[in-house]
Amino acid sequence: MVSQHGILLAISIISDHFGPLVSKVCGCLLRHGPLSLQDIIRRLQLSSGQVKNSLLVLIQHNCVQAYSTPRGSGDKTVTLYLAIFDNVLHRLRFSKFLSLVRVDIPESEVLLEGLLQNGRLTFDQLVGRTISKAPEGSPAPTREEIRMNFNKLVYAHYVERCPRPEPFFDPLADEQPTSTRKRAPKAVEIVLSLEQKILRTAALSDAERFSEIPYFMEGSSNANEHDNHAVAGGKRKHEDLEVDEEDSIIAENEVLWRTNFEKFIFCLKKKFCAERKKTKLKLGTHVIWEAFFEANVTNNDSKTVTSPINRILERVGQKEGGTSMTLDQIISVLNDLECISTTRNPEDFTFDLNKLVEACRNDEIESLVKKKHGQEAYTIFRLLLKQGCPVETDEITDRTILDKQVVHGTLYKLWKDEYIDSERVPYVSGTGGSQFFVWRVKNTYREQFIDHLYHTALNLRHMVNNLAELLLEGTKDETKLRNRKNILVLALTRHDESLMLFHDF
Amino acid sequence: MPPRKRPAPPLEDPTPASRSPPADQPSEPSDSATPTISQSILAKLPSQERQMYIVIFEAGSKGMWMQDIRKKLMLGPQIGNKIARNLVSMKLVKEVSDVRHRSKKVFMATDFQPSAEITGGTWYHDGRLDSDAVAAARRSCKAQVERLGVATAQMIHNGILRDNPNAGYTIDKIRDIVRTMVLDKVLEEVKSTGEGEFSSIRSGTVCYRVAWAAEGGMMEGIPCGICPRIDECSPEGVISPSTCVYYKKWLQMDF
Ligand code: SF4
Repeated sequence: MVSQHGILLAISIISDHFGPLVSKVCGCLLRHGPLSLQDIIRRLQLSSGQVKNSLLVLIQHNCVQAYSTPRGSGDKTVTLYLAIFDNVLHRLRFSKFLSLVRVDIPESEVLLEGLLQNGRLTFDQLVGRTISKAPEGSPAPTREEIRMNFNKLVYAHYVERCPRPEPFFDPLADEQPTSTRKRAPKAVEIVLSLEQKILRTAALSDAERFSEIPYFMEGSSNANEHDNHAVAGGKRKHEDLEVDEEDSIIAENEVLWRTNFEKFIFCLKKKFCAERKKTKLKLGTHVIWEAFFEANVTNNDSKTVTSPINRILERVGQKEGGTSMTLDQIISVLNDLECISTTRNPEDFTFDLNKLVEACRNDEIESLVKKKHGQEAYTIFRLLLKQGCPVETDEITDRTILDKQVVHGTLYKLWKDEYIDSERVPYVSGTGGSQFFVWRVKNTYREQFIDHLYHTALNLRHMVNNLAELLLEGTKDETKLRNRKNILVLALTRHDESLMLFHDF
Repeated sequence: MPPRKRPAPPLEDPTPASRSPPADQPSEPSDSATPTISQSILAKLPSQERQMYIVIFEAGSKGMWMQDIRKKLMLGPQIGNKIARNLVSMKLVKEVSDVRHRSKKVFMATDFQPSAEITGGTWYHDGRLDSDAVAAARRSCKAQVERLGVATAQMIHNGILRDNPNAGYTIDKIRDIVRTMVLDKVLEEVKSTGEGEFSSIRSGTVCYRVAWAAEGGMMEGIPCGICPRIDECSPEGVISPSTCVYYKKWLQMDF
């Protein structure tokens, strides 16, 4: 369940991008969970047309997923609409997604931009848009060029075919795994939220999601080179192409494409981890750390990255000072960096991103505790986190070697700020009854922190909007205002990194 | 470890009341030989004083709380205090301060030195934390770790003793100090792999090296991140971003 301020933040984003009506509908869905059209109309007292249009906008921009579900005991079904909180928040990161592609596949940036701006497009629409956007004076790209650049995005999984528009989902029957769930791990299955279950039901298989647009135009026969990646479902096999050509063209024209946020978030996660650790590396190990990340092969999870040693060596060799390093040296540094190889796969080195992410989360919260309540609070908070169980006041004093009065004062501050809980424990001794206090970290401290993250982002946006309005009105302090707004926008961008760290990574 | 009996209400902690410093409290612990009660002294004492002296003597270096003495001997508060005062004036018994309960009256036979449990140990002086001593010990430990790269507690201890034979820290004290430094993220705890920088340390041994400071996020740089009123703040509320003084101050700073 999304926290109070998470919902408010999502509403504010939608309101800024699509206006108050759409944001009302989105907010209603976020607060109440999936609802039918009738329910939304009733709750918001809006006309059916207004709600329908808002839903269309939200679906177009991947912020809502529709699904049908049984109604009553008969065969009747009803369509429900589910707001996708994560996708609303991703709207804050579009510029980050674009810069990733700008570095990786610059020639495809304009195509991604088209999808980000429009949510979902068919290839035809994308071609039309790209041609009309071509800079004046330069020749407009051909459809074939666009197709090739587009397939690069699909091949890299930056772009995917849209999920099923309205899958059937029966919450009562969802225990049985559906046949389409290719991504579900075989062994231990984590408990999924309703939202995740519905999105999984709607998702296409990976082969379908990332099947590229095959070449089927007359004329240029040498343009087949990208087709060998197109390992799609049976009907897209090469042999079938000739037979089904006509059908395929029609089908391709109808297929809707969208940005694959998962992939971008994974890239940002990788980048975040690489950079966080970079600042802590010893002299001379940078080269190897960079090479390790450049040599990554695609993993099928988002928790780790793996690089084969020969690719790492190749990359190290290309870097300054890299040629003089021996294999033993490199492997020893890799181990130091916690890039581990297993005996089963001695050639592959794997780094656990999630472990680092977890450490960074702790660092951020602890560092904030220090900033808010001082060094002693930091020490005590870390002690309580490490112990993971209630600790008695005097044991805290003993273990931290801090003054008793200071410990008492600090515990009170932490307790008041809802980081820790205390409990009075009665104690019966030979000399009569007494009591002592034990302390533990509240198990809600993370959620509270995340809610504050959302709240802070919301307030920053509020301030940015205030300044933008002032600028529109026009004042003589324009440069001053503009500078302030830039500071806020910058802060918001950096703050989003924390949001991703805690919510998306 | 079962919790010790130490009532410690955090909110209504009593201010240290009329604490009398112990008469003569050398900082070094006494010899290992346990003192025995002197029969000649006992023979000279009146009956009530004798009983109380025995009880206090038996408590040894832990001393005994006045209330416990009274309970044991079934004495009223006034008479109890009077006898205790007599014993103190005869220099048979002393009043010591208990670091955990500064307002409690604890008595101890003069033959004993207060145990670490009462004094708080090396880092306490007159029942108060000696912050300078702690800081000095931490500096010494850090200097050793910086010199060695990675070090076990034993290596740190050896290094300190070599540099300053009079430092007088026991290995346990060094361990305690190093643990607080890990909590403060001045040092970090790592297990030796027996290779590379750990080559001189047996694999699996706990050792320490200088830690990197925790990296915070943007939260701590934004007024709302450290704002004490954030839970009351909303655009329509009395406390609101539009009227926020913290923001005003923050944004003005750079101009
Ligand atoms: S806007 Fe001001 S009052 Fe509100 S949370 Fe931020 S700093 Fe606090």
